[in-house]
Amino acid sequence: MDLFRDVLDKQLIDRNNEKLGKVDGLVMVLGEGAPPRVAYIEVGPVTLARRLNRGLGQRVARLCEKLGGARHREPFRIPWAKIIVTGTDVTVGLDADDTPIRDWQKWLRRNVIERLPGA
Amino acid sequence: MKKLLEITLGIVTSIGGFLEIGSLTTAAQAGAAFGFQLIWAILLGTICIIFLVEMAGRFAAVSRHTIPDAIRERFGFNFFVIPLISTLLVNFLVLAAEIGGVCLGLQLLTGIGFQWWALPVAFAIWVLLWKGTFGVIEQGVSALGLVTLCFVVGAVLLHPSWKDVGLGALPTLPSHDKSHYWFIAVSILGASITPYLFFFYSSGAVEDKWDESYLGLNRATASLGMSFGGTIALGALIVAAIVFPPRGITQLDHIEQLSLILTPIFGHWGLILFAASLCIACYGAALEISLEQAYLVAQGFGWKWGEDVRPKDDPGFISVYTMAALSSSLLILFGLDPLKLTIFSMALTAASLPLTVVPFLFLMNDEKYLGEFRNGWLSNGVVLFIIMLSFLLAIVSIPLEIFGG
Repeated sequence: MDLFRDVLDKQLIDRNNEKLGKVDGLVMVLGEGAPPRVAYIEVGPVTLARRLNRGLGQRVARLCEKLGGARHREPFRIPWAKIIVTGTDVTVGLDADDTPIRDWQKWLRRNVIERLPGA
Repeated sequence: MKKLLEITLGIVTSIGGFLEIGSLTTAAQAGAAFGFQLIWAILLGTICIIFLVEMAGRFAAVSRHTIPDAIRERFGFNFFVIPLISTLLVNFLVLAAEIGGVCLGLQLLTGIGFQWWALPVAFAIWVLLWKGTFGVIEQGVSALGLVTLCFVVGAVLLHPSWKDVGLGALPTLPSHDKSHYWFIAVSILGASITPYLFFFYSSGAVEDKWDESYLGLNRATASLGMSFGGTIALGALIVAAIVFPPRGITQLDHIEQLSLILTPIFGHWGLILFAASLCIACYGAALEISLEQAYLVAQGFGWKWGEDVRPKDDPGFISVYTMAALSSSLLILFGLDPLKLTIFSMALTAASLPLTVVPFLFLMNDEKYLGEFRNGWLSNGVVLFIIMLSFLLAIVSIPLEIFGG
């Protein structure tokens, strides 16, 4: 498998076939005397900002912590074992609502959208 | 039978959706200032958008990917931010121009200044996106857009010299106002080759779950729809070329001048027809661009997207189109002249084309996405030539127009 071609920046789909975001980053682990292996994929704005620029990454991390609390300071990690790479998408054995990825969307829904007429 | 109906619907959609404030004002400016001489720019732009729309549909049908989604996947996030930001910015200006178009139409109909209409128009866009479905938006509004056919009827009724019209199809050098000539040519190209048009089309194709069996339908829709659309822009140019110069109008600085374009043909009804065309065509385009802004962000970041998804299930998507309509309307509220904004944003579109079209061409030649349905040398060559020409003309003529007066 080619990690950059077949995994990174692909669409993530959760257990219920819902769009969950993209594979924003890959985390590799170097073991003593063992070849490096991919341990996690990362999802979230902090990873994306880090990819663009280290300083931007730190600033976005602080902003996310301020807005969403401590659990948003670091990007959300999904263990490699939970992942199935299919042709077009990457499927994870998780429920989107059990992850912090959509917390801001939930906030919007609760505080804005549901208060509008016609929702 | 079902396919035939879909072809018809698709064509109606593209005809009704083609003319908006960009094609209309650039064509009218060209006709007023240079007669039939700039017809070639409309032809060139139309040929290019036919190829691009066909590619966008083919890409969606074969790869099941939307274009932003695939650009990020293929080139990585760090590259993707470049076309993302440039398209969002250009769309922001073009959307403001379309909202301005609706406002100008309403000003003509009611006498109330265009700025007052900015927020109500933004609200009207938002309500339809909030309550409507993809079908209503795409087909309903576009069918109403057929009112813009009045420009073709007008052109025929004015009995132009068809020989002169034909001569305008050949590019020629201007005899006066050289830099203005190229600037208008660039604006026409930018108005015809709008990225939101083929991005939007590919999103629609993915939403309608197209597969390889749709390729014929796609080819028919793209070529017939866009050619008829181009014909309407051509109609507007011909009418402007016959109506304005004899009355001493060679530059359309005010909506009051432009609004008289149809009165020599249809009398009092000409003004109403013009205002209605402007309102409907620009409203339709504004809906599409607002939606396209949301598609772009959602597809680039992997959110749920789609016009048929219930709002409550899709807060991110909704917040983008809401912000898009609102922020663009502010430019009009603060009094930016919609006509100047239009011409400028169309030229800027032309300048920004390589940022989106070149990566798209790479995708269209990628075996992994398209297999045997990859581009041939003809489509690659035609699109690349017209895009690079538009780009070069744009970077030369935009500064000249701004600083040269």
